[in-house]
Amino acid sequence: MNIKKPLLVIVLLLVVLVLVPWLIHVSGRWDFYYTLTSVALLSIASAGVWLTFYIGRINIGQGAYTLIGGYASAILVTKLGMNFWLTLPLAGLICALISIVIGLPILRLRGVYFAMVTLVLTEVARLTALALPITNGAKGIVNIPMPTELSFFGITIIPDFGTLENPKLAFYIASVIMMVLCYAALYRIVNSRLGHLCRSLQQNEELSASIGVNTAYLRVLAYSISSFMGGIAGASFVSISQSVYPSSFQVVDSVNFMLNCFLGGLGFVLGPMLGTLVLYFGWDLLFTLGKYQLLIYSSMLILLMVWLPNGLLSLKLFNRGAKKK
Amino acid sequence: MTAILEVDKLTRRFGGLVAVNNISFDVKQGEILSVIGPNGAGKSTLFKLISSFLSTSAGEVRFKGEKVSDLSPHVVARKGIVRTFQETTIFRSMTTRENIIIAHHLRSKASMAGYFWGSAQARRDEATFAKSADEIIQFLDMQGIADELASNLPQGNLRALGIAIGLATDPEILLLDEPFAGMNHDETMQMVDLVRSVQRERGVTVMLVEHDMPAVMKISDRIVVINFGEKIAEGTPAEIRSNDKVIEAYLGSEDDAIGI
Amino acid sequence: MEQVLANGLYLGAQYALIALGLTLIFSLMNVLNFAHGQMYVFGGFVTYTVVAQLGLPFIVGLILSGIVLGVMGALIEKYLFRPVIARSTREESTMLLAAGIAFFLDAVILLLFGEKQRGIPKIIDGVLNWDYRIIMPYDRILIGVLAIAAICIFIMYMQYSKTGRAMRALAQDRVAAELMGVDVKYYSMIGFALGAMLAGIVGGLLVSITGINLGMGGPASIKAFMMIMIGGAGIISGAIAGGFILGMMESVGLLVFAAYGDITYLMIFVSLIIFLAIRPHGLMGKPWG
Repeated sequence: MNIKKPLLVIVLLLVVLVLVPWLIHVSGRWDFYYTLTSVALLSIASAGVWLTFYIGRINIGQGAYTLIGGYASAILVTKLGMNFWLTLPLAGLICALISIVIGLPILRLRGVYFAMVTLVLTEVARLTALALPITNGAKGIVNIPMPTELSFFGITIIPDFGTLENPKLAFYIASVIMMVLCYAALYRIVNSRLGHLCRSLQQNEELSASIGVNTAYLRVLAYSISSFMGGIAGASFVSISQSVYPSSFQVVDSVNFMLNCFLGGLGFVLGPMLGTLVLYFGWDLLFTLGKYQLLIYSSMLILLMVWLPNGLLSLKLFNRGAKKK
Repeated sequence: MTAILEVDKLTRRFGGLVAVNNISFDVKQGEILSVIGPNGAGKSTLFKLISSFLSTSAGEVRFKGEKVSDLSPHVVARKGIVRTFQETTIFRSMTTRENIIIAHHLRSKASMAGYFWGSAQARRDEATFAKSADEIIQFLDMQGIADELASNLPQGNLRALGIAIGLATDPEILLLDEPFAGMNHDETMQMVDLVRSVQRERGVTVMLVEHDMPAVMKISDRIVVINFGEKIAEGTPAEIRSNDKVIEAYLGSEDDAIGI
Repeated sequence: MEQVLANGLYLGAQYALIALGLTLIFSLMNVLNFAHGQMYVFGGFVTYTVVAQLGLPFIVGLILSGIVLGVMGALIEKYLFRPVIARSTREESTMLLAAGIAFFLDAVILLLFGEKQRGIPKIIDGVLNWDYRIIMPYDRILIGVLAIAAICIFIMYMQYSKTGRAMRALAQDRVAAELMGVDVKYYSMIGFALGAMLAGIVGGLLVSITGINLGMGGPASIKAFMMIMIGGAGIISGAIAGGFILGMMESVGLLVFAAYGDITYLMIFVSLIIFLAIRPHGLMGKPWG
């Protein structure tokens, strides 16, 4: 078991770092790099939402943290001239800190009440970005420079993206490595005692408290990890598009993060990744339908919900149950 | 015997309603004490106050001389006062063994980060918990259902699992909320034996809230009777049985005395 | 000051009507209707079509908006929510279904009515000018009065009609209502239809003042969520209180913060979160958990 886990990570890395670039190279579809980079980053944000689902909270506020992370990185890079790679973890940490302050009161809410507040939160983030002077209002922050070189003691660890001949590939590689790290961390959380405690919270908070679990602390911990992921995803996105606006992440994005998790399955670590991939590509494929895109997309969502009210995962559960017998 | 838990002039109001009014009694080390009373007498509220699931309006609860009311539930649990629930409250989508293992949380020494990185302490904890869980399973004779999902268990087993979860926390006092509710006579008697053995062999002080009078009479060392939020009697089962006030309270609401 | 109060009342009446529909659906089925804002926009477009395209009187448009949305709500409940609620194991699934319906209605509105801002001609001309203390166009007053009238009718209906009583029983305790012989399925459908109808009527009212466009749905839903959180989710009186409180806050905020730009809503959001931290179940809601 201890050998299997790193092996899985290596296989995943091989697929995304060797197989996918090779396929893209062969097919000549360079635009896929951008699509896949987006999928990787969105699935990091979705992984955060998934973790809040794991403690039994419906989180429709991840868009707020992606936006905060994006602005944090953009401001640090443009105003203070910091290296992007340094702002990346900082953006995550800023989001985590903010989420602790916000989470302490609102994580006491449950079910739809929590969901409603988080939804409002996305809107708060957008309005804050519009109102504050440092975020430059509706004009946003533009012309953010590409990530620069990161070196330790003169040894280049990450090259300057501006000088690369194919920055798209560089962004792709950076994003998928981040994605794999995030999912490895998520896997570790879920499969350690930490994850069991989260599950105990999801299933019964009172009982959890009565066996001595500090439920308030654990909830805030999970929520801050979730927001950290949202923050780094947002920061990376902003770096790629080299601009950030109050409307860069909206309520629709928050809803989509939640949809990704739900579609992929809430009991399955790779679920949000799968969900993001399916929804993003589904949406992209429907692009050819022109003005009917949203109609078909939403009809499919509705039909899927009516057909499988418990998500794609319920198919998987069914299979697993059948195998046991 | 010395008092391990002292309930001192405990009061809780909900708006104008006084659910628990100035109740005082002691729980002695190693005994089984039952709190009985008609429906709505304030028994469950009393339990929630003792386990800090509710805050008090006045008065306090002392555990070994130290005030334990008005804290967080998990803090009270850490001190050794552990509550099981009226409904069959368990972690439904975990197996019996997983339920018991998770309940060992109070004994864990590793930090959250330690669990994440799989530190030596975390691994030692896991091994200890697994071993202790097996002991509890053995003790409660649950080997047959150890790997069954809790949501698939029949009610009698669920109640036992609730007690197993309580035991896993290694409590000094176990608060059982209606452990016999909804059980038939045979199941009740099995449960009575189980609670007795928990008290005798594990040295746990047990306090329980219950409707089922025959079971309460059989199991209890002492009984506290409350009605309309006030204590009306306290004593051994024999004393309670012949107490006029108690008889009056129960005749006033005959249905409840049967335990419905 | 009087002007601010009058504006607050006018806004509050409309908001309360939106919140009433949302809270009714929530209390009956524990469904958070994400599509509520879209239903309201749809209602506005129905009135627009009837009045501006077909040239029929405003009141006909208003009634048709209510009917169309009521029928839509009934169908959505019967063919989408009911089967999903029956088979799903988590309460999230209905939220996702609602989100899907919101997207779907957005798409339908886009195809049927386009992206443009639409409005109808003024119903009545003229402005009330009370000593320069309150200045308000007559059509706004009319709309405000109509909204308050609709709220009163709704309350009377819930209070005194057989259907209303059945729905209140259902909201209080689903199982008990079923045992008492209330046809749960039927009244859930009626309740959903009624909630959607209210959304449609507000849309119809609003189209005569500010006009309506596709993008208004989402923000309207969010405002409605806030109102029912202020008052307590699933509580009729709470929804009305929440609506008027939000209307007042907006009206006062626009006056006080006018100098600082668009921060009224930011302030409202922040105070809402602080309020919920102190009183998680809202003004009139019951504590849970």
